[in-house]
Amino acid sequence: MERKQQQIFGILAKSVRQLLEQEGLDMGQLQEIRMRIGKPLLLIYQNEERFLPFTKGKHQRHIVTREEIRETLDYVSHYSLYAYERDIRQGFLTVEGGHRIGVMGKVIMEQNTIKNLQYISSVNVRVSHEIRGCADHILPYITKEGEICHTLIISPPRCGKTTLLRDLIRQISDGNMEIPGHSVGVVDERSELGGCYHGVAQNDLGIRTDILDGCPKAEGMLLLIRSMAPQVIAVDEIGAKEDIHALEYAMQCGCRMIATVHGKDMKEAAEKPVLGELIQKRRFQRYIVLGNRQRPGEIRAVYDERGSVLCCGL
Amino acid sequence: MLRFVGSILIITATTGGGILYGMELQHYLEQLLYIRHIVYMLRGELTYSAAPLGELCGRVAGRVKEPYRSWLRAVEQQVENRESDAFLKIWMRTIDRYLKELHLKTMHSIQLKELGSCLGQMDGEMQSQSLKLYLDRLELEIEKVREGMGSKKRIGNCLGVMSGVFLVVLLL
Repeated sequence: MERKQQQIFGILAKSVRQLLEQEGLDMGQLQEIRMRIGKPLLLIYQNEERFLPFTKGKHQRHIVTREEIRETLDYVSHYSLYAYERDIRQGFLTVEGGHRIGVMGKVIMEQNTIKNLQYISSVNVRVSHEIRGCADHILPYITKEGEICHTLIISPPRCGKTTLLRDLIRQISDGNMEIPGHSVGVVDERSELGGCYHGVAQNDLGIRTDILDGCPKAEGMLLLIRSMAPQVIAVDEIGAKEDIHALEYAMQCGCRMIATVHGKDMKEAAEKPVLGELIQKRRFQRYIVLGNRQRPGEIRAVYDERGSVLCCGL
Repeated sequence: MLRFVGSILIITATTGGGILYGMELQHYLEQLLYIRHIVYMLRGELTYSAAPLGELCGRVAGRVKEPYRSWLRAVEQQVENRESDAFLKIWMRTIDRYLKELHLKTMHSIQLKELGSCLGQMDGEMQSQSLKLYLDRLELEIEKVREGMGSKKRIGNCLGVMSGVFLVVLLL
């Protein structure tokens, strides 16, 4: 937990860091830190919105300044924003530990595509949580006679799909009483799963896991198949057409696939272009739908390829 | 006899002083050339890997000699530890501390420090352009030093010998 505190506090402007230190936060409960120029500093803590300082009234809330945003961005990028150009273009970058930093500002366009962002006015620090054992209940539902089923995790943002996928990868890779260890290939485009730093995963993804860090998913999946012959491939947040085509190709190569996608439920996922076709073809054998009504990571239901409920409310 | 030996010693010493002056000029030029070499390597790494500044400096540090190695390692370390609220401060602080022994002329020192103000900002292409701009300026400075060096060396050598002879004549 101390390491996580160092990782998070290390990327914040000194004034913001001091405020957080004074509050003595439990890092396990901290989900997000939202900074917007001229607006109060806001935390998502214990699943609730909180302003800083906690004890002060409405008029004494800390207002985020332009200088604090600049300083934070300097720390986040190790004073090298140019090195994260591609990530910033997508609206976020990932720091050591797999924490995601969302950024918003004025878009610079070039030939109808986003070239970069300038005048960054909002920063959202999303704290990554490694919860070992959070996939314990789900693992029996995605295995069949010791084999992993093609699985799609469907979840809205902030419901813990990356955390669940990370623990699934670890357990499948290490093996347990129910399944033998499998070689797992992970395409970690945004460095969130492994939280790689200088190429070394900071999160535990198991002993048989190969990580392709920072690589686009579509290319990464093909590269993994060719070079590492994984039994299972895991990717986070599929969406683009190329990703889904590569995913289907990988399924036809004998690899088992575990992927996540944004969506509220099965219906919403099935309505997505390209991915919907894959669902209709019953390529996936299991669907896990997550929610956060009671707590983040709540498993609302597990479905099989025909859409029949296997379990709910885990 | 003693006078003769003394005269020889005086002339040798002043001539040595003149030669030393020439060697210092040569050494200074070599320092500028080495800084150019380092900036070229930084630019190459930047173009190839687009890695953050700390990493770039760390990679280049392994391939250069002292005191440049300590300087680049210090930049790497301070960037990794986020020891300042701006990269420029780290860059200037480390130049002052680790490159002090080079005794760079004020102009050259300022130019090298100014380079830090352009690093870390904007996109990769602009970074590369900033480094190129610095290299162009440094190239001009190197040319200036090189141009004047031949004549300065000759003058140094002549003055060394002549001042020795002059001193001997005076003392005798």
